[in-house]
Amino acid sequence: MIEYLLLAPILTSILCFLTKTRKQVETVSIIGSIATLVLGLVLVNNVFKYGTIVAWQNALFADAFSAFIVLIVSIVGFVASFYSVGYMGHEFDHNIFDIKKLKMYYVLFHIFMFTMLLVGVTNNLGLWIAIEMTTLVSALLMILYSRKSSVEAAWKYMIICTVGITFALFGTILTYYAAVKILGETGDALNWTSLIAVADQFDPTIMKLAFIFILIGYGTKAGLAPMHTWLPDAHSEAPTPVSALLSGVLLNCAMYGIIRFYTIATKSTGVGFTSNLIIIFGLLSLGIAVPFIILQEDYKRLLAYSSVEHMGIVALGIGFGGVYGIFGAILHMFNHAMTKSLMFFGAGNVLLKYETKEIDKVSGIVKSMPVTGPMLIIGALAITGSPPFSIFLSEFTILAAGFLQGRYVSSVLFLLFLIMIFAGFFNNISKMVFGTPKPGITKGEVSRWTLAAMSILIVFVIVLGVYIPPFFYDMIMKVVAVIR
Amino acid sequence: MSEIILGSKMVQLIIALILVSTFLILGSTRLYSCVRAFGIQSFLLACVAGIVAYSTGKNDIYIVALLTLVIKAAVIPYIFIYIIREIKVKREVELYVNVSPSLIIGGVLVVISYYLIRSINILSELSSFALSASMSLVSIGLFVMISRKKAIMQMLGILIMENGLFLGAISLTYGMPLLVELGIFFDVLIGVLIMGILIFRINKTFESIDTDMLKTLIG
Repeated sequence: MIEYLLLAPILTSILCFLTKTRKQVETVSIIGSIATLVLGLVLVNNVFKYGTIVAWQNALFADAFSAFIVLIVSIVGFVASFYSVGYMGHEFDHNIFDIKKLKMYYVLFHIFMFTMLLVGVTNNLGLWIAIEMTTLVSALLMILYSRKSSVEAAWKYMIICTVGITFALFGTILTYYAAVKILGETGDALNWTSLIAVADQFDPTIMKLAFIFILIGYGTKAGLAPMHTWLPDAHSEAPTPVSALLSGVLLNCAMYGIIRFYTIATKSTGVGFTSNLIIIFGLLSLGIAVPFIILQEDYKRLLAYSSVEHMGIVALGIGFGGVYGIFGAILHMFNHAMTKSLMFFGAGNVLLKYETKEIDKVSGIVKSMPVTGPMLIIGALAITGSPPFSIFLSEFTILAAGFLQGRYVSSVLFLLFLIMIFAGFFNNISKMVFGTPKPGITKGEVSRWTLAAMSILIVFVIVLGVYIPPFFYDMIMKVVAVIR
Repeated sequence: MSEIILGSKMVQLIIALILVSTFLILGSTRLYSCVRAFGIQSFLLACVAGIVAYSTGKNDIYIVALLTLVIKAAVIPYIFIYIIREIKVKREVELYVNVSPSLIIGGVLVVISYYLIRSINILSELSSFALSASMSLVSIGLFVMISRKKAIMQMLGILIMENGLFLGAISLTYGMPLLVELGIFFDVLIGVLIMGILIFRINKTFESIDTDMLKTLIG
């Protein structure tokens, strides 16, 4: 089952490489991403119905948490491939991309999907390999535009993330060392299942060191401050559909790595050490995002900093712990993925229309783009945590968990940062959305494909704000059970 | 146990030589000499892996040693030389921190790593020797990345860090399971290729590979 899921994007990518025209490559890509989505959903269904699945001599593995990541990757990936047809098609029509580059884009897009799915379903600390692969592929996607700024962003991204991930490798080696002492030198000693079973016997000194390295390493990739410096560059310079995947999905994949290790390390070091560290990084990310969001001049960077903020919130949820904290964090991962992708898609439409990324040069989106505009307003309300949208629920759960666990100072700071970010973010977005468009901007949407993609996402944003279906609730509770 | 193997004077000597090769990189101002020193370092690393494989009799580690020899000591230095030749850069390293302070900082980093690893008192004397060498390599690699101007030296810095981790893994646990080890080699190789592509692109776009140019995206 897992093999088929991994095979689908690889196959799609190969087929994309073999196509000749724009129409062909787009058809293949859409069919491929539908296949990936369907296989992903089947996997998720199987895991939640029948329990953990392993394959390929234990190398691949899917429990509730993996399945949840697969769910996020395949939904956002599916929507992004729809969006790509509109967005990249526009770039193709305007001769910014030739057919060779367009093909290259789709080939890399599906390999990128493959690497992210792989992060979810690797059954061992070899997770490192998959996460490093995501960096490699996405750096290539970034330099498809040969602008100076894209090249700079890609280089920074590559260097900073590779160094970060090297630290994570060190943490992985230390964890393996701790495991080998208990389990002996078997190939199994790196599997999640065998690690969790004996994690309480691991040497706490080594696990503390390992967890620090892991948190810094994968934290770099997850965009936690102060290792986030590459993120605004990379997320704003990538092609928009890729920005959505980077912000909405890839950050979650890195977070997934941290949370897996959190579970293992906590069993050995006790909950105090790991939680405090995660909370510190979480609050720092929120705090650093505040001034950059308030004073931002570039709307794609605005969204990127908002991702730093939201990864901080997920980290806080995990750090606060308890059923509420972790439930909130997992729900927040999902909600953020949907809402942030929606926002990036909206921003992409604006970018195609206004051909600038500066907030001050954009106005009157509601008038010039009657569908994108309102969706952007809803997205902005949702992403800043206003009721009745989905992110409000998860943020509120995390806040409640903070107070329940007696983390008063952190919770109050969390609330304060949220209020400041709400004001700053909404101020910037309203400058763009309202007012009258500049002369020369014609009325009308860029492409139907992009709107289709956005309308799928907005359903999640609105529905999950007022109603969490019982099956979804059960799913998250199962994930919580895996983590605790 | 790992103590017996690492106890052999041979491995200690090689690990010391690995440190020397790292200082060769810090001390040279010519790109080719840096690449050569890196090649020597990787070769020595392959020797360590070979000795560990011989004394434990594990076939897996022979494969790892062979891969180190082929990929890190031959293919990657070749890619470096190819890049240097193709983009026709000045063959000098261009430093933010001069050679002599670089060497002193390198020495300080080794001492710090030594005491840091010593403070974990559950390690045996000899694995802490290997691990402190590994830690030194990681920190010196990081220092190379921030103190050298050319993008190509940042790439070299990352590889020095990676070598350090490899040394740590092999001395602590005889390396990772083979599947993981293979994956890491794959990633390192692809990573080097993609960084190479990026360097070509930087050179084409900025007509230079000085990272000084890459400072426009802020705020």
